[in-house]
Amino acid sequence: MNSLNSAELLDLYQRMLRIRRIEEAIAERYAEQQMRCPTHLCIGEEAIAVGVCAHLTDSDKVFSNHRGHGHYLAKGGSLVGLIAELYGFAEGCCGGRGGSMHLSDLSAGFIASTPIVGGTVPVAAGYAWGEQRRNSKNVVVIFFGDGCFEEGVLHETMNFAVLKQLPLVMVCENNQYSVMTPLYERQPARDIYPIAAAHGLQAVSGDGNKVEQVYALAENAIAAARNGAGPQFLELHTHRWPEHCGPNEDDELGYRFPGELLAWKQRCPLLHTGRTLAEAGVAAEALLDIEQRIGAEIAEAFARALAGQPPELADMERHLYV
Amino acid sequence: MSETLMLSYGAAIREALDDGLNRYPDMLLIGEGVPDPKTIFATTQGLREKYGAERVLDMPLAENGMTGICIGAALAGMRPVLVHQRIDFALLAMDQLVNNAAKWHYMFDGKQSVPLVVRVIIGRGWGQGPQHSQSLQAMFAQVPGLKVVMPTTAGDAYHFLLDAIADDGPVLFVEHRWLHHVIGEVDKQRPAAGLRGAAVLRAGRDISIAAFSHMSIEALKAATVLAEHGIEAEVIDMRCLTPLDVDSVAGSAAKTGLLLVADCAPEMASLGHVLISRLYQRQPNTLKQAPCLVAYPNHPVPTTHFQANHYYPGAERIAEAALELLAQRPLMDTLHRQLQSDLAKDQPDRSFVGPF
Ligand SMILES: Cc1ncc(C[n+]2csc(CCOP(=O)(O)OP(=O)(O)O)c2C)c(N)n1
Repeated sequence: MNSLNSAELLDLYQRMLRIRRIEEAIAERYAEQQMRCPTHLCIGEEAIAVGVCAHLTDSDKVFSNHRGHGHYLAKGGSLVGLIAELYGFAEGCCGGRGGSMHLSDLSAGFIASTPIVGGTVPVAAGYAWGEQRRNSKNVVVIFFGDGCFEEGVLHETMNFAVLKQLPLVMVCENNQYSVMTPLYERQPARDIYPIAAAHGLQAVSGDGNKVEQVYALAENAIAAARNGAGPQFLELHTHRWPEHCGPNEDDELGYRFPGELLAWKQRCPLLHTGRTLAEAGVAAEALLDIEQRIGAEIAEAFARALAGQPPELADMERHLYV
Repeated sequence: MSETLMLSYGAAIREALDDGLNRYPDMLLIGEGVPDPKTIFATTQGLREKYGAERVLDMPLAENGMTGICIGAALAGMRPVLVHQRIDFALLAMDQLVNNAAKWHYMFDGKQSVPLVVRVIIGRGWGQGPQHSQSLQAMFAQVPGLKVVMPTTAGDAYHFLLDAIADDGPVLFVEHRWLHHVIGEVDKQRPAAGLRGAAVLRAGRDISIAAFSHMSIEALKAATVLAEHGIEAEVIDMRCLTPLDVDSVAGSAAKTGLLLVADCAPEMASLGHVLISRLYQRQPNTLKQAPCLVAYPNHPVPTTHFQANHYYPGAERIAEAALELLAQRPLMDTLHRQLQSDLAKDQPDRSFVGPF
């Protein structure tokens, strides 16, 4: 896309690759049984988190769901904080108390992810309402899936968000599956975004595996929300490669159409962007260099996280009441 | 001819669903993941293939709406069985369950009823954390008009589920995830219990232990070891929350004079309090000692296994509490050693390697 020069695209590539390699590192170590929490990886879906969060300032806010690692990292959440959290250490971003499904890094503007589907959607809108009432220029982004779009609370939230013209950007990551249930068992054959449009949001759809497309759509949406044009909705098509929850692939279970996963792998966001970069004359060494730096960062982050301490038993009861 | 099968609790549920679908042409089985390859921890396996996608089906992620839709279908003569892989998800359906399903029969003067079964799974383990491991059964049991059962044995799982399907009112069927792999006898010819009454799992003269769901299994473990030291505990499985069978517990307590209640729920949300209170109101002089309640702490379970390992009371705690009541404290260390397991408390059995 012409709004991005190759240095900018390289930067997005690097952010996507970082998320990919971190997720792979988690998957690899999960079998050691020291990360004892359900973990929903976002391999294959990295372009959405990166393309959207690229437009956010430090004081903009992000909310997420059970599949939150990518959103957390793209918003600048602490990597050591994430890994320590998976291991259940006190140094984790929630003191070990939350695990993979509950992440928070307030210093990065990543407010919260929680695993009850739809649970954070109205909360994000409420946060946007607060930002609006304080006349800040901040926007709030909420990430959720196509399954979440079926929850009543999402539609209740859209109604209120439009009523109040909230600075809210709703990002629907349409990966066609809710756990292992395909979209056609859950929704009639129609697009999702026109329903948001019917609620009164400005809504568009696009290819969630092309980071430059996500970037361009998000640029418009975030600018519009920031400038008082009301809530925005992006439906972005993508695919999750690993199993719904856990470190492995599960294509042998047969819930996808034969060849579906392979076709999506050929549409890998990294492959696509790597190709565009090569065409733009970015040398292979530059990508290799990025790869090495990320590898070193991850190795160090795991080492630091693993040096963590188990939380105090006496702390189990803490923070129940304010 | 009696036909006794040895089945896991999970398989017993599957068997009941199979027999239910066969017996009641109006039964529907619906829920997130019901026909997916994992089939709700294998409890719905093969049923879509056998009974068709019109009767065994997945659903949109719309717990409240789909509960209302099932209520409507039930009013129109269907017998829906709705499944939630975790009780936490059923919270989204509270309005329909509490305001409509539980009240309909009463509110419309007994002219209509809602033959709806809602299967919910409680449990623990592998970092399920604050929003995926709650034990909210008492909350539902507080709702007048909603029957709540939580069978412990495979035999009860089978019969209660079939009884629940046959019941003309709404029934919440509570399964503990850690019971799914426990094997037991299922005698299909056994007369129906009618979703009432506690069950004595082990007879004893020295102390009465009234336990709920998975805690009954822990109580049995404790009782086995107590017996090695000459202490005979009576274990009563409180398999129906509504109505709560106080009579059985009263009879046992009158015999032993000591009552221990073990629940798999936070202390504040334990029906054990109701049990103790009713027992005391009925026969204040039966007990030689104040009764004891072993339950979860009154805070959510942290995800981190370091802390979760210390959250759940198990057989050791039950045995310790029993020894306290029996004034047999010197035995504590021995029993503790005998009951201690090297299995982490986030693992239901050795084959389990997460995630759920
Ligand atoms: C209210 C509620 N119902 C069911 C679940 C179980 N569950 C967890 S993730 C998930 C699928 C969500 O699908 P989607 O929103 O499309 O997100 P994806 O996993 O595809 O990223 C389900 C059904 C839940 N966590 N919360």
